[in-house]
Amino acid sequence: MALALAGASFAAVAWDRDAMLRAAHAQGPQAVAGTRALQALLVSEAAQDDPHRLAAINRFFNSRVVFTSDMEVWGQEDYWASPLEMLGKGRGDCEDYVIGKYFSLIAAGTLPSRLRLVYVRATLEQAAESGPAGASILAHMVLAYSARPGDDPLILDNLITDIRPASRRSDLMPVYSFNAEGLWQGVNGRSAGDPLARLSRWRGLLARVRSEGFQ
Amino acid sequence: MSLTRQIGLLLLATLALAWAGSVAVNVYSVRDTLQMQLRLKNSDNATALALVLSQQRGQPELMALAAAAQFDGGFYRRIRIIGSDGRMLFERNAPESLGRSHAAPTWFAAWLPIESAPGVAQVSDGWRPLGTVEVVSQSTYALDALWRGSVRVALVLAGLGLAAGLLAALGLARIRRPLDAMVRQANAVQRGEFPTLVEPEVPELRRLTRAMNTMVVRLRGVFEGQAAQVEAMRRRATCDALTGLSNRNHFMALLGASLQREDGPAAGGLVLLRVIDLAEVNRSLGHDSTDRLIATIAQTLQTYTQRVDGAFVGRLNGSDFGLALPVGGLARETAVAVVALLRAALPAFAQGVAVAAGAVETRHGSALADVLGGADLALARAESGGPFSVDTSVDASVDAPVDAGPDAARSDPADPTSPDLAVLGERGRTARVREALVEGRLQLASFPVVDAAGRLIHIECPLRMQLAPGAPFEVAARWLPLALRGRLTCFVDERAVALALQAISGDGQPRCVNIAPASLSDSGFAARLRTQLLAAPRAARDLWVEVGESAVADRFELLRELSRQLRATGARVGLEHAGERLARVERLFDAGLDYVKLDAATTHGLAADEARAGFVLGLVAMLHSLSMQVFAEGVADGATADALWACGVDGVTGPWASAVGSAGDR
Repeated sequence: MALALAGASFAAVAWDRDAMLRAAHAQGPQAVAGTRALQALLVSEAAQDDPHRLAAINRFFNSRVVFTSDMEVWGQEDYWASPLEMLGKGRGDCEDYVIGKYFSLIAAGTLPSRLRLVYVRATLEQAAESGPAGASILAHMVLAYSARPGDDPLILDNLITDIRPASRRSDLMPVYSFNAEGLWQGVNGRSAGDPLARLSRWRGLLARVRSEGFQ
Repeated sequence: MSLTRQIGLLLLATLALAWAGSVAVNVYSVRDTLQMQLRLKNSDNATALALVLSQQRGQPELMALAAAAQFDGGFYRRIRIIGSDGRMLFERNAPESLGRSHAAPTWFAAWLPIESAPGVAQVSDGWRPLGTVEVVSQSTYALDALWRGSVRVALVLAGLGLAAGLLAALGLARIRRPLDAMVRQANAVQRGEFPTLVEPEVPELRRLTRAMNTMVVRLRGVFEGQAAQVEAMRRRATCDALTGLSNRNHFMALLGASLQREDGPAAGGLVLLRVIDLAEVNRSLGHDSTDRLIATIAQTLQTYTQRVDGAFVGRLNGSDFGLALPVGGLARETAVAVVALLRAALPAFAQGVAVAAGAVETRHGSALADVLGGADLALARAESGGPFSVDTSVDASVDAPVDAGPDAARSDPADPTSPDLAVLGERGRTARVREALVEGRLQLASFPVVDAAGRLIHIECPLRMQLAPGAPFEVAARWLPLALRGRLTCFVDERAVALALQAISGDGQPRCVNIAPASLSDSGFAARLRTQLLAAPRAARDLWVEVGESAVADRFELLRELSRQLRATGARVGLEHAGERLARVERLFDAGLDYVKLDAATTHGLAADEARAGFVLGLVAMLHSLSMQVFAEGVADGATADALWACGVDGVTGPWASAVGSAGDR
């Protein structure tokens, strides 16, 4: 649990098998099955390089989770589910996919600094069916991977399920990006009990995910 | 350490701990809250700023402007933008001076620093990450607020603690007062006093106090029973059964003592009254009427004892009565008056019942036999003079004529032997005493008080005064009436105490000084004596101070005050010339006395008088049960002394004791 985010080495296993299973049990049998599958994936991907991991984990979540709005799944607008919660339901919306992929990649050994969660404006090209406007605009979230800061990032998305560089995703316009880097700077208590964590959605999620055995 | 002090310290420690604890908890929790607020503020501002910076399309000038605007308009210690490659793209720091706190002292800032945890957010241009922005707010205002809040909390809690401490002290006092009172009560019981306490409100203490009070009341009852018994014995031993007057023995003892005692009256009178031919009266009137007749005469005589302090009456035998007067020059007048009263009253019983009276003037120091002889002679002459006649006789020891007329009767009773004094007048005579005081013409006589083994207990030191330079030192009988009239007794007594203290300091022998009951009425007297004793603390412990028995009856509270003041210095306080009224004093146990000296009249003829011996035995036992020592005055012979030892008396004085004492000295 006490592994530093940025300094995690490839060799170290950045997740806690037992804690993850315990948390999955609390979510129900579907979560346990999903978790076992994810754990198997994490173990095998730990030995692979980033492109391999990206493809495998992107595929895992895109195939395993059915896109559903938060209102349907959680009964509230815009709920950020943890990976295990999403696996337990088998359903999730865009940021749930992004969150699941983000934490799983880090758990498999990808450097956190290479990953960013990006708010984007998505333009859906389904002119015929969707209405007179010809295109619908969607507030969306994707996961961006760049091996070096200046690179064209690779986009992991649940709308277009194969991984493409950002330059080939003209349907997406990035607005704001963030990750967990530097978030805990100068703060000692990084537990789920930190009262501040509950106030911020992102920090709350981080705390929750950590209690489920990630990083 | 006493119980109350322990409780007090415990309370104090508890309050101090509670204060320190609550201040610390408060200060720390306020500090945590402030730090958390700062963190939130930093984090939120970083996110907002990052959002703005991400809209600048990666142009460094625009980003720097946006960050600078944020910095200049807000309360920041630092804002910086770090590029993805670690390069510093923008940095702004507030000057060091702004970061220093104004209100909080440095030690406080060092002890409780407030961390302003930096807020961090990612900045990007489209897909391209540009770096991170880091925002740190000023924290000095938080430190100031923390300091002010801490001071306020410390003060408020200290105030509350003080209030709680005061309440606790009050509560403690509520418990402590009855406890202290009970300790005093227990000590008082040990001294032979029986005070009862007001029951306190604390239930446990109330029960305890009630138990103590019950015990004290029971003890008091025991004492009162004993006193009643002693009084009954005294009556049996000293009173005539029919009239309640002193019996012959006791009357003679009283008369003898008043003639011999140093502070007895300087002059007096004795009236003897006889029912003429009582046997015949008894036959003609019958026993009961005769008894009533005797009782009427006794009542008539008793009016004098009630009117004149120091007068006493006795029934000397079946038909004879004696009336002793403490004032000279009035014997004849009194006899005439008594006879006149009876001449009016007696015919009511029967015709022919008559009395005759003989009167004699007495002088301090006269022999009892001479006085009685003179009175008997006068009575015999009166009897032969017919019914209701009065005759006077001249006391053998007095050369002045007693029936010389009204002028002579009013002549100075204090010292008619010095004619110059007699012509001085009232003012001049008291001036003599004042001069003697001023010029120090005073000395202490000394008479030993010894115990059964002949050891000295203390030296009795009656004061002698030289009324004129070169004149002999006179006993109290000569100057005390003058001092009384001039209200000088308290000064005389203070001088006597001073002389005694000086003598004690000189030879270390314990000494005893007597004090006039009149001195007690001077409001500052007890306090002045106390000051005197405090000035000589060592000698004070060997000083015995005694007051006449009348004080315990007439000036009870004043006597109590005197004993309270003097006993605190280690001196002992007692009664002298006691016996007559002792068993009748209701709260003798409350007077705070260390010892009692029994009057010579009380112990007179003890060896031969079984009833009297019983009375003295009971009296001594009673006084001992009150933790008082008992001494006997005026003991003349070994037989009386032996009888007194048998009664349990602690010591004796008088001619016999002086002989033993001087024999012991040799």
